[in-house]
Amino acid sequence: MKTRLLCALVTLLLSSKLSAAPIELGASVQLTGQFANTGRYYGDAYQFAVDKINAAGGVKVGNSREKLSLKILDSQSDVNLSVRQYVQLVSQDKINFLLGPFASDFALADSAISEKYNVPMIQGGGASDQIFSRGYKFIFGTLPPATDYFQSTIDLMSQLKPAPTTVALLYADDAFDVSVAEGTRKAVGKTPVKTVLDQRYSSKASDFNSMLSLIKNQNVDAILVAGHETEILNFIRQAKSLNVNPKMYSFTVGVPSADFRAALGSDANYAFGMTSWVPSPALKDEYFVNAEQFANEYKKRFGYEPDYHAASAVADVEAFVKAIESANSLDPVKVRDAIAKLDFDSLYGRIRFNTAGQINLPQTVVQIQKGKLVAIYGPKGLLEKPLYPMPDWGKR
Amino acid sequence: MKPALKFIFAALVVGGFATVPSWGSAVLVQFGINALILATLAQSWNIIGGYTGYPSFGNSVFYGLGGYGVAIALVQYQLPSAVGLILGVVLAVLFAFLLGLPVLRLRGHYFAIATLGLTEVMTAIVSNLDIAGRNVGLILPLAKGDTLFLELSLALLVVTTLAVAWISRSRFGFGLIAIRENEVAAAVMGVNTTLYKILAFALCAVFSALAGGIHAYWITYLDPGSAFDVSLNVRMIIMAVFGGPGTIFGPALGAFALAAISEILASKITSLASIFFGVVIVVAIIFMPRGVADLAQNFRRFGWRYFQENIKAHRV
Amino acid sequence: MQLLWQILVNGVLLGGLYALMALGLVLVWGVLNIVNLAHGALIMLGAYVCYYFFTGLGWDPFAALPVAMSLLFCLGYLIQRWVLNLVIRAPMFNSLLVTFGLEVVITYLAQLLFSADFRTVNPSYAGANFSFFGATVPWVRVLAFGVALALTFALWLFLDHTRIGRAIRATAQNLVAARLYGVNPRQLYALTFGIGAALAGAAGALYGVVSQINPYIGAGLTGKSFAIAIIGGLEKSLYVLVGGLFLGVVEALTALYIGPTYTDVVSFGILVLVLIVRPTGLLGRTA
Repeated sequence: MKTRLLCALVTLLLSSKLSAAPIELGASVQLTGQFANTGRYYGDAYQFAVDKINAAGGVKVGNSREKLSLKILDSQSDVNLSVRQYVQLVSQDKINFLLGPFASDFALADSAISEKYNVPMIQGGGASDQIFSRGYKFIFGTLPPATDYFQSTIDLMSQLKPAPTTVALLYADDAFDVSVAEGTRKAVGKTPVKTVLDQRYSSKASDFNSMLSLIKNQNVDAILVAGHETEILNFIRQAKSLNVNPKMYSFTVGVPSADFRAALGSDANYAFGMTSWVPSPALKDEYFVNAEQFANEYKKRFGYEPDYHAASAVADVEAFVKAIESANSLDPVKVRDAIAKLDFDSLYGRIRFNTAGQINLPQTVVQIQKGKLVAIYGPKGLLEKPLYPMPDWGKR
Repeated sequence: MKPALKFIFAALVVGGFATVPSWGSAVLVQFGINALILATLAQSWNIIGGYTGYPSFGNSVFYGLGGYGVAIALVQYQLPSAVGLILGVVLAVLFAFLLGLPVLRLRGHYFAIATLGLTEVMTAIVSNLDIAGRNVGLILPLAKGDTLFLELSLALLVVTTLAVAWISRSRFGFGLIAIRENEVAAAVMGVNTTLYKILAFALCAVFSALAGGIHAYWITYLDPGSAFDVSLNVRMIIMAVFGGPGTIFGPALGAFALAAISEILASKITSLASIFFGVVIVVAIIFMPRGVADLAQNFRRFGWRYFQENIKAHRV
Repeated sequence: MQLLWQILVNGVLLGGLYALMALGLVLVWGVLNIVNLAHGALIMLGAYVCYYFFTGLGWDPFAALPVAMSLLFCLGYLIQRWVLNLVIRAPMFNSLLVTFGLEVVITYLAQLLFSADFRTVNPSYAGANFSFFGATVPWVRVLAFGVALALTFALWLFLDHTRIGRAIRATAQNLVAARLYGVNPRQLYALTFGIGAALAGAAGALYGVVSQINPYIGAGLTGKSFAIAIIGGLEKSLYVLVGGLFLGVVEALTALYIGPTYTDVVSFGILVLVLIVRPTGLLGRTA
């Protein structure tokens, strides 16, 4: 029984080896399981970018143009399975170029594989500073550092009238959100704003009534929440039902995503958030013309709007293409060195990695106004008038 | 199969695994490590669940403590990994003695739920411990060389299986089986039931903790969610039950079979893998509730009627 | 002081919903001796039924509640009749493993059918609230609490005062007794599990009104239900209510005074403690 199964396993794995394409990219993504909601951006965007690049002729290596192929495995939102799948991609499928998973804890674990096997991984799903602070040479990230997520929001706060004087910081206890909180704590410390509540909560939490009651009791002006979309949906609905009325609140995730606005309807209004990417025609791209066009085509093909996760994923694929072309080689170590030297403009923004392997993009503050996502505050200052302070729930 | 044949077969399997690095690919080595660790876990669950009849959901606590022993030793104190393994075992055995005493007084579903509760409590406590990296987890130093891990986990499985083989023919083992069949009668017969149960619990703590330690060092990342994973505990039970609980080789066999099935599923029809795994569990429990070992023994005698008989025996 | 009052009110309202979540689990466990690990997945399905009737047909979630209950009743009846009845006399953890397998299948089928998108049931009155001695009380939570109370009471009436209900209770004592009522045990078992599933469906419909839903909420809800079932004990549906209220209040207080990362330590810690000290539940008879 056992030996026969092993044989089946071996033959199955061997058979997959025969269809090797010239340049193969590989990724293990959360297509099912609790992270599937955001994981799908990566699966879809990787595929989209590969198709588009192939349609444009492929990748130039030497005198020939090679097509890209993509192998995506489903990690079922299981970190351990994800690690094992990356090993499979590298050692069994002989894939030398890895694209990343979603979420910081996955990227943390999976980057050990790229380091172990000396193959580069470019990931657009993990922003936690921990990923890049270990001195690893083969991991690159296209999300801006987690510690900076709230920086632009805090800059905006000082320009609001009347400026918020008290702030509550709530954050989930996972790698990404803890990093966000560290950065935010420092950034708030440099302003006159007083932090009246600095609270870590469990990533499994679904009930925020106690914290909201506390916030209401303290009459906090601004609430900053670093958490997951599920928690933020509950947070806003429970804030409404308990009639908690801060002057503003802002969330690390959710606000830029279409399904978040669909789930909350008009209750999503006035929520602030941030994004490292807005689908603007000003962001030019070699394969997709520009970010706006990309967003339209993406929506047409997959039936939902892309957000920064998708754009970041496309940038990962393009970074590989640019690096392979500039290294003029398929050797993983040479490509790794080329990635480190990259500097190009994409639909996602300017891709240039720092020595730790992460890029830096400014976070644009966004707000949901009448059901639409509006860019409020960017690196060049105010873009659009924020709706502030937000009206009481009873007066909407 | 005759016992002698079984041992020869087992020796062949061990030899096969030991030489995988020389002929198999890295993926096969990795599959081997994973399967061996799962088999060790199923085998040690067998001691408390299969022989003693206590369906523990607390074995993932032992596994997690083993992992954290290694992780804390390596990351927080820069100690060698061997020290970490010992630390993990000590933690797990302490846990088994301290909580085994009250919890092992419960029977059946109550014991199952109590141990399930303990797993949840440990997850939540460790998520709040600074030394364990809270819920963010700990990143262990990179360990290259999967061969070492394969040999380690193979050795661990062999030792665990030898321990189970010893149990199955020792006075201690008969005591455990007596407890499983009728605890009151066992006590009347002079078995010190409390002591026996706790020793069984502690024994599976030792092996599970070692498995957890090896796994953590190998994967190089540990967080409370994956360390104290309840579904891993359920998998241990399924593998043991699938192979044949209360037998020497059944649990390891069940673990290899199910690990291979889920590995193939995860690398092929990826999105349906989980559903299929769920269906396999349901079907296997309904049609062969005493596991593969029992199937192999009785299928020849009953043929297809074997499945029918199983259903007839257990349906209402 | 006012904060404490508000927290207590929050906890009680949450507790009512908790109680309803656990009610079906307790019934199935107490009568059939099946620990149903798929209970949370059934709650999740109930929430989705309510969601689709609300967004697709524009039904009020409270009007969709009986629909969710009926559909879940049918599903539960079929699961027991054609799956669980086949293993009910096997060693106890066989039925437990089967329910685990069912949980996996239901969860992933739900993802295929409903997608992993996060959903909410957000009726226009979802934010309406009133002041009760200084505490803000959301109307939906009060309604949900009321429904939970009513269903608990209805279950008690059914089990204690109808012939079928008495047959179900007799089954919990012993199997032969059920036959004395002239009921086919196969159908009686299926009926019992069906009622348990219907209660899960009701809990799901209410859960969707106060919280977001996605295919993966089940496992966590099963855990909560266990804690409540253990605290209250398996004897009377009324005790489940007390267990739910107790847990709701304790969690709310923990989040405020110890910290929101400690609620699981406390609620599952209580579960283990109660089991060790009084395995029959806080209110149950001593064994």
